Amino acid sequence: MKTKNNLIKILIPVLSILAAFVIGGIIIVCLGKNPLEAYGFLFKGALGKPSKIAQTLEVASPLIFTGLAASFAYKCGMFNLGGEGQFIMGSIVSIVVSTQTGITGVPAIIISVICGALAGGIWGAIPGILKITRGLNEMIVSIMLNYVATLFMGCVFTNILRDGSVPQTPAVPKESQLSNIADGFRVHYGVVIAIILAVIIYYFMFYTSKGFKLRAVGMNPTAARFNGFAVNKIILAAFICSGAVAGLGGSIELHGKQFRLMQGYGAGFGFDGVAIALIAQLNPIGTVIVAIFFGILRKGASTLQAGMKIPTSVVDIIQALVIVFAVAGTALVRLPQVQQFFRVHFSGKRRGAES
Amino acid sequence: MKKRTGAIMLAVSLAVGTITVPTVSVAAEGDYKIAMLLDSSISDGGWGASCYQAMVDAAEEMGWETAYTDNVATSDFTTVMTDYADLEYNLIFAPGNEYTDAVIQVSEEYPDTYFCLLNGAVETDNVISVMPDAEQIGYLAGALAGLMTQTNNVGFIGGMEIDTTKTKLDSYEAAVKKVNPDINVSSAYAGSYDDAAKGKEIANSMISTYDVDVMFGDASAVDTGAREALADMENKFSIGQPGDLGSADDEVIICSVVTDNAALVKECMEAVEAGEYGNKTVFGNLDDGCLKVGTFSDKLVSKEIQDKYMELVEQIKAGTFIEK
Amino acid sequence: MEAIMNVNFFVQLFLSTIRMATPILLVAMAELYSERAGLVNIGLDGIMSMGALIGFLFGYMTGNPVLGILAGALAGIAVNMIYAFCTITLCAEQIVYGMAINIFAPALASFIYRAYFSDTSTVVQGISMKPVAIPLLSQIPIIGPLFFNHPVLVYLAYLLVPVTAVFLNKTKAGLNFKAVGEYPKAAETLGVNVIRQKYLASTICGALAGIGGAYLTICYTSTYSEGIVAGRGFIALSAVIFGRWMPGGVMLACLLFGFCDAIQIRLQLLSPGTPYQLLQMIPYLCTLVVLVIFGIKKSGPKANGKPYFREER
Repeated sequence: MKTKNNLIKILIPVLSILAAFVIGGIIIVCLGKNPLEAYGFLFKGALGKPSKIAQTLEVASPLIFTGLAASFAYKCGMFNLGGEGQFIMGSIVSIVVSTQTGITGVPAIIISVICGALAGGIWGAIPGILKITRGLNEMIVSIMLNYVATLFMGCVFTNILRDGSVPQTPAVPKESQLSNIADGFRVHYGVVIAIILAVIIYYFMFYTSKGFKLRAVGMNPTAARFNGFAVNKIILAAFICSGAVAGLGGSIELHGKQFRLMQGYGAGFGFDGVAIALIAQLNPIGTVIVAIFFGILRKGASTLQAGMKIPTSVVDIIQALVIVFAVAGTALVRLPQVQQFFRVHFSGKRRGAES
Repeated sequence: MKKRTGAIMLAVSLAVGTITVPTVSVAAEGDYKIAMLLDSSISDGGWGASCYQAMVDAAEEMGWETAYTDNVATSDFTTVMTDYADLEYNLIFAPGNEYTDAVIQVSEEYPDTYFCLLNGAVETDNVISVMPDAEQIGYLAGALAGLMTQTNNVGFIGGMEIDTTKTKLDSYEAAVKKVNPDINVSSAYAGSYDDAAKGKEIANSMISTYDVDVMFGDASAVDTGAREALADMENKFSIGQPGDLGSADDEVIICSVVTDNAALVKECMEAVEAGEYGNKTVFGNLDDGCLKVGTFSDKLVSKEIQDKYMELVEQIKAGTFIEK
Repeated sequence: MEAIMNVNFFVQLFLSTIRMATPILLVAMAELYSERAGLVNIGLDGIMSMGALIGFLFGYMTGNPVLGILAGALAGIAVNMIYAFCTITLCAEQIVYGMAINIFAPALASFIYRAYFSDTSTVVQGISMKPVAIPLLSQIPIIGPLFFNHPVLVYLAYLLVPVTAVFLNKTKAGLNFKAVGEYPKAAETLGVNVIRQKYLASTICGALAGIGGAYLTICYTSTYSEGIVAGRGFIALSAVIFGRWMPGGVMLACLLFGFCDAIQIRLQLLSPGTPYQLLQMIPYLCTLVVLVIFGIKKSGPKANGKPYFREER
């Protein structure tokens, strides 16, 4: 029974994604273009050469962090929609450390990244504290804090840390930048950090007693409270960790890819992370896989658009369709009626048959 | 069961196989291609629109092929440029200094691709910077605003506090004060280039708070919204940019300060064709015709003021309007 | 300082408050209906952008603002049906579908705009709904221009508040509707068709959010630009929670937000030296501070955000 479930778990997203591509293909046909050629561009752009794969991983890197941040809080039942704000606050503190303290090189990276994670954690703690002390809804507080963080970042790069006449901060010095994994490949060590972090979170969530408590609170806070768990403390801890992961992501994106803050920095990563975490059903390892898939989609979509000369919005539509279908697919198999259907038709001797 | 899985795998790999060998059409010899990227939309009625139009106009004259990607996120600048470089576009047009870092990075990785950076300050073997004179734009608008105002209050709406906008605001203010030191200038930033509703609101509040009657803006769709607020009232005027937005019987736009980005882009294209690209900055000002005074609304601007204004324009052109 | 010290300043300030609060109010009422039936919909921005585009387009084609607004409502319903089908029938995660709508709908809107007007770079001037002055009442000094000289849609938006309050609290249909968001199983045993009620809620939500979007392109301005929604859906979402899921509270939250935004713009004019980003934070910070002071001990509808499996007994 277990293998069958696992097979379905993998097969359904794959089929859903294919369905999304088919509909996307129909749109492309309607524009008078060849969809096979279009998807050829997509795969070629994302995975065609080792250097392309490297770039795809680099695109995926911040998404892994924000995805992990979202899944961490959601495991505890908390909707942290503030990934973007935490990501940005982490980046702001990091840029201050890396450009204003005079420390350079590896120590700068380490200190800066730690400070970034702390800043993200503090920013993430605010909705947590307001939730447990004042009973405020965490979604609205974290959304408000996103706006505040983005505006504060604007203030930082136009006023406080302005680099000459241009409204952007100075860049992280060369020697403090995260180096690329191999020469000529545009992918930095941040991806490795992201994957290690995912494994650690996976271990923490499923193999430690603290992780168990976190999940217990997420599943049923009332029951957890009756069992004597310090529910409030756990909720706050989940928020802090979630924020810290997002802040760490911001700090790493800053040191590995973008190097400076400017208009539009970090926009959309938080919400993409939420979508990724939910498609991965809050599994940290799954989050990495889905984030990399999103990376492929984003990187490839840009090549597709450039190569086929179709409006940019078409590739956005395809990306949204992938989300719609992937989640609908997984939800579909969890429906009681559908589960019953499986039990009736695929049990007994034919157990293990696909779909 | 194994058999079936195998069959599916085979089918999938076949399908993937067939779609990963696309036929990329190789550009014929002598065919030039230009691509641009944009962080806003090409139909924003302002900056994005005018830059896109500039590229299309220049390409039409030169017989080049064009492509564009708009609404690009900041983190995807390099990705998009790399894509166009990979697709063997000859020239990549990056309209704004926010693309500077990305242009530097990608131009180093693709030495055979040429880049044109608008409002930039990068000069390398394969990058030309193009610089319309923001100061003159501000002077041109300010001088006209100064001549036209009856309430001695004029306004300015910026999108974001970027350096070209700041320069335009500063020189706008200087020019207004030069015409008449008693005129007050109010300014505000919308924090957006596309929130037309906010533009309308800002214009309304400028009028009700300071009795502003002439406005100039550097905020694309936000300006469009501001103009709507002005249109609802009597004797409130707007100065357009960067395209020639007005007409002889316009009710709101008294005149436009026109930036002919097409001429600048064309100059870069010619450099590519001539094979002598790079290491320079192309300036655009009144002198070389890249900046122009647009169409006056004869309904709103009297002949007398028009003549007076053209005198000031000559001074701005000669550099004698405001001595530094 | 003299600029502040006159009556006109305050009249204008409150006028902008009303104008800015109206689209948020419409969309917040949309969300209120949705959440009262247990559906948290964070895809409001997406629905609004479709409403804004289709409303604009129909207004432009027919020259009739009312038709434009109706078209915006229909477009909103159509988009929200994707959300409704996936979250109600398939019981999928509501937050994800909200997100998906937020990616999907603006892209679709931008695509339709390009398809219709091709790669044009000029601003297309649409239709606008003119204010209707209410006879006599609009003649009262100060109060007249403030409350009785607006486009019809503005009156309707504010009228919606008492109507909703009466519906939810005083009518049987409204009580059934609320029960779906609180105790769906109990409602079902009492003969309420939970699934149908939820679809009804989604239809109302789509229509109102679509109208909220159309307000931006038909009443507020008469042009369409990508990104015109500018996060107003998320503000509306906050307003619902802030207003404690009660129509009156939601309206107050929207007005507070509109007021902060109106004051923020004027502060920019009055103090040119201050970084404008700090002033733009005011609406968000104000919301947070008010929330912290008053707190929300009462949480929302009990079954909010939870899928309803009918077969589970």
